[in-house]
Amino acid sequence: MILLTGGTGFLGAHIAAHLLERGEKVILLARFKQGLPAAERVGRLLDWLGVGAGRRKNIQLVEGQLDRPGLGLEPDATASISRQIDEIVHCASSTSFAERQKAEVEAVNVGGLGHVLGLAERSRCRRFHLVSTAYVAGRKSGLCLEEIVRPSAFNNVYEETKCRAEWLASERCAEAGIRLSVYRPSIVYGHSETGRSLLFNALYYPVRTALFLKNLYERDIRECGGRKAAEMGVRLDGDGWTVMPLRIMVADGAGINVVPIDFFVRAFGSIREGANDGGVFHIVNSRQTRIEDIIEYTQAFFHIRGISACSAQEMEGKPGNPLDAVFGAYLEAYRPYMMDRRIFGTEKAGPILEKKGIRCPDLTSGIFKRCLDYAVQCGWGARLF
Amino acid sequence: MVKADDDILKTASQCRHYAMCKIDYLGTGLCPPGKRYHYVSYYPQGRMDLYTALSENLIPVTEGLVHIAETCTMCGVCDLQCHFVTGLRPLKVMDALKNYVADYLKGGGKPASIPPDEPLRRLRGIVGTEWASNDPAVLVTYANDPFPLADMRMPRYVVLPGTREEVASVVRLANELGLPYAVRGNGGSVFGFVFSEGIVLDMQRMRTIAIDKDNWSAAVGPGVTSFELQQEVFRQGLRVNTAEPAATVCGNIVCTGTFSTWSYAYGTAADGFIDMEFVNARGEIYRLNDKQAPNVFAFENDVIPAPGICTEATVKLQPTTADEDGVLVPFWDFDEAVALARELGRRRIGLAVAVLGVHYIANFMSPSKALADRLKDVLPETLGIRYVVFAIGDRYARESISKLAGPVIDSGLWRTLTLGLPRLLDQEWQDLVKGFEASRPPYEILIRPEMRPLIEAVLRPSPETLAASVEEDLRGQYAGLYSQPRFTDMTWLNMFRIVSSRMSRRKHMFAFLVYVPLDRNDVINHINAEFARIAAAQGLDHDFGFLTPMDLGKRAILEYDYYIDHTDPVERAKIGRAMAEIGPWLDGLAERTKGVTFLKYVFSQGCSRKENFLYR
Repeated sequence: MILLTGGTGFLGAHIAAHLLERGEKVILLARFKQGLPAAERVGRLLDWLGVGAGRRKNIQLVEGQLDRPGLGLEPDATASISRQIDEIVHCASSTSFAERQKAEVEAVNVGGLGHVLGLAERSRCRRFHLVSTAYVAGRKSGLCLEEIVRPSAFNNVYEETKCRAEWLASERCAEAGIRLSVYRPSIVYGHSETGRSLLFNALYYPVRTALFLKNLYERDIRECGGRKAAEMGVRLDGDGWTVMPLRIMVADGAGINVVPIDFFVRAFGSIREGANDGGVFHIVNSRQTRIEDIIEYTQAFFHIRGISACSAQEMEGKPGNPLDAVFGAYLEAYRPYMMDRRIFGTEKAGPILEKKGIRCPDLTSGIFKRCLDYAVQCGWGARLF
Repeated sequence: MVKADDDILKTASQCRHYAMCKIDYLGTGLCPPGKRYHYVSYYPQGRMDLYTALSENLIPVTEGLVHIAETCTMCGVCDLQCHFVTGLRPLKVMDALKNYVADYLKGGGKPASIPPDEPLRRLRGIVGTEWASNDPAVLVTYANDPFPLADMRMPRYVVLPGTREEVASVVRLANELGLPYAVRGNGGSVFGFVFSEGIVLDMQRMRTIAIDKDNWSAAVGPGVTSFELQQEVFRQGLRVNTAEPAATVCGNIVCTGTFSTWSYAYGTAADGFIDMEFVNARGEIYRLNDKQAPNVFAFENDVIPAPGICTEATVKLQPTTADEDGVLVPFWDFDEAVALARELGRRRIGLAVAVLGVHYIANFMSPSKALADRLKDVLPETLGIRYVVFAIGDRYARESISKLAGPVIDSGLWRTLTLGLPRLLDQEWQDLVKGFEASRPPYEILIRPEMRPLIEAVLRPSPETLAASVEEDLRGQYAGLYSQPRFTDMTWLNMFRIVSSRMSRRKHMFAFLVYVPLDRNDVINHINAEFARIAAAQGLDHDFGFLTPMDLGKRAILEYDYYIDHTDPVERAKIGRAMAEIGPWLDGLAERTKGVTFLKYVFSQGCSRKENFLYR
């Protein structure tokens, strides 16, 4: 029996489907959220994931709260779970970068993990799978190894708390004699074959912003005389494409490390099965995707011209327009990931995945199109359920 | 008894008695019978009470009631006036009251005629037949306010004196007859201090304003409201420190000393006036500047009677400059906001300053409760704004604030945000804004000057955009109002305070005011936390209100608000229990802590020197 936390999130839901597909029995810890009882939320997700009724019989749903000691469970429920579980997959996480929400992010990413570890220590569980991030090394550049790290500085509260979570899990699992596997995915996007996704942040966000701006100024041109569009230099070309002058800062040899959700799930499954002794595993792409490529895909997909990639030197001293400012603002938060030169070592994960013939696909224009088709079709998540 | 329509009765019973229907604050005109007959009974506020009173069988149909109902012209002015601040639509109540009386008469009903008794005859001898009444339809509109801790007290007579001599004569007659009396300014008090089983004096008719520009002063009668005085003074290019727009100037000075965001520069209590005239308890007239006058400038930390009935206040007028304007500095952290407010005070920057909570900002901006409720969530959750430091100042002051605080929301951006508010709340836009966030809150990016054209494009601000958030039949009128620059002018809005009544749009507001030491964040945070704790324990809605620095940032006045449905007995019981806890706690805190004074003790000592209660 496996206890899974975060099973209603993007990665967790896919892991739940994977485990059920493998015939595992899963206790899914979920909570009441946004006016929906846990059972309803999980039911909708399983529908979306296409988990059939037969497999669903192997799910035991437990309403609990990660941020409470004992996960907010009654003693009887805790005792029952403790008796049943052999493994724990801890996916629950806050992905916020917001410094002002540091206390909440810490409460989930560190405090919540502590509560789950507490349960693990009191149970028969002997394997703990912690879903972390490839970016726990913070501001470190160069080679990042598959090992527990203690960096001196982080880019945001998310990185910091995920790193602290690794330390905590590492110490307490060692003390309790529990084998720990740490999974470190880079930036995860939709399914490479279907384009389906549950989450539309990270990679999707700047693309969505570009579409928002395009629609905004097209409407200004069509409905309001186009004065505001003209101020930005936005115009419609005769062929139906929109010219939108926008500069995005890039760096030579840098890019963004992205993996599709299907690769992540396959990699997770293989490492879980193939690395019984535990360890730290990077689930990353061996090639960075260039920002220039994403710009090209975006322009082609949305029929936009005028977006250009510029180096910091090219942008310096040349005042931009508000469109540059919007993307500049976005880059303030995501620059470490979009202008990334880190090399993620895969000395442990690599051989396992290679043995199984699992390889991360590059983000091609075809995959990009499938993912964006789906994103637009479901209103960037608003019409998912 | 009225067979009341639930919806109409609900509207009638929700009247907050803010008397905003008694001032022409929208420039749309004033209720015609109210203007003519002056009794509150003839204003929409009184008619709302009458409809409730009839439904509760508190009064019979009287000749007075028939006159009140029949004089309503159904002009509809009240509907917009009331909706603008409370969201209520009183016109349907006016209509129902008229119909009820018409049906009563059509059915052969005979209105009761209340004969005058001897005291009434003598009162009429003083003020004139028209200006004293014992008709229950008049009396009941002076019998209560939405103060849940006081029961209705029906007076025997209501009197509207026209001169100070008439006031003095009424007081002497009341003494002779052994009748208690109470005085009302504009016919309303949300704290229930103005009731009497004897005589209620309504000062509505004493509305003189005499401006003496050479002496930088205005002599004001006790029926003059803050709005009316500010309007007169504004025409002369000057300003006066006043209270809520419908509050009378004299009454407010006596009761609270008049505090506002302008108290930052203009002070409070005795700082605001040059002289005042009173009728004392013996019916004698005196001025504070008389050598033999009682010493009202002293302060005693106790609830004591007022120095008499104020019949005139000579208030200070203040100069203005043409470059005054407002700015807002957003904050996530309260202590950081307080630190800026304190710094402005120390450095004497600006004319009006306050730290405001999101409830205030959301309601100031929003013409509907639904919009305000959504904005109240969006400000902290999406934009990262939990507080703002609001300031009015000339261009030098505003430049200094920008240098101290970084990017600010200036008047142009404020106007854009207000007139484009419904689109600011658009989900797609919010999703994008949230994506900006990392080490600093999203507002810091949005208020950068380079983002202005984008904000303009997204929000497409216009009076029509904002008006789309109210009921369809009011949209034209709202668009008309918001096409006037003053309705988005921070200086004008703050001088006339016409949107401050929106604070209680969701429920009747209980404002707790405490003078605090501004250099003691620990004390200020403790007060906020304790107010929040007590409210939460009782299950009451509550919010931080505002904090205004005073006396060069050494002290401040803090408001914390509780919200209750004053018609709900359960909520009334809750506020009763909360107040029983608040009194002793604040008394104890004030005793231990220099600079803490509960405003409850300033009530009726508003003429005292502020130094006497700020530095006890």
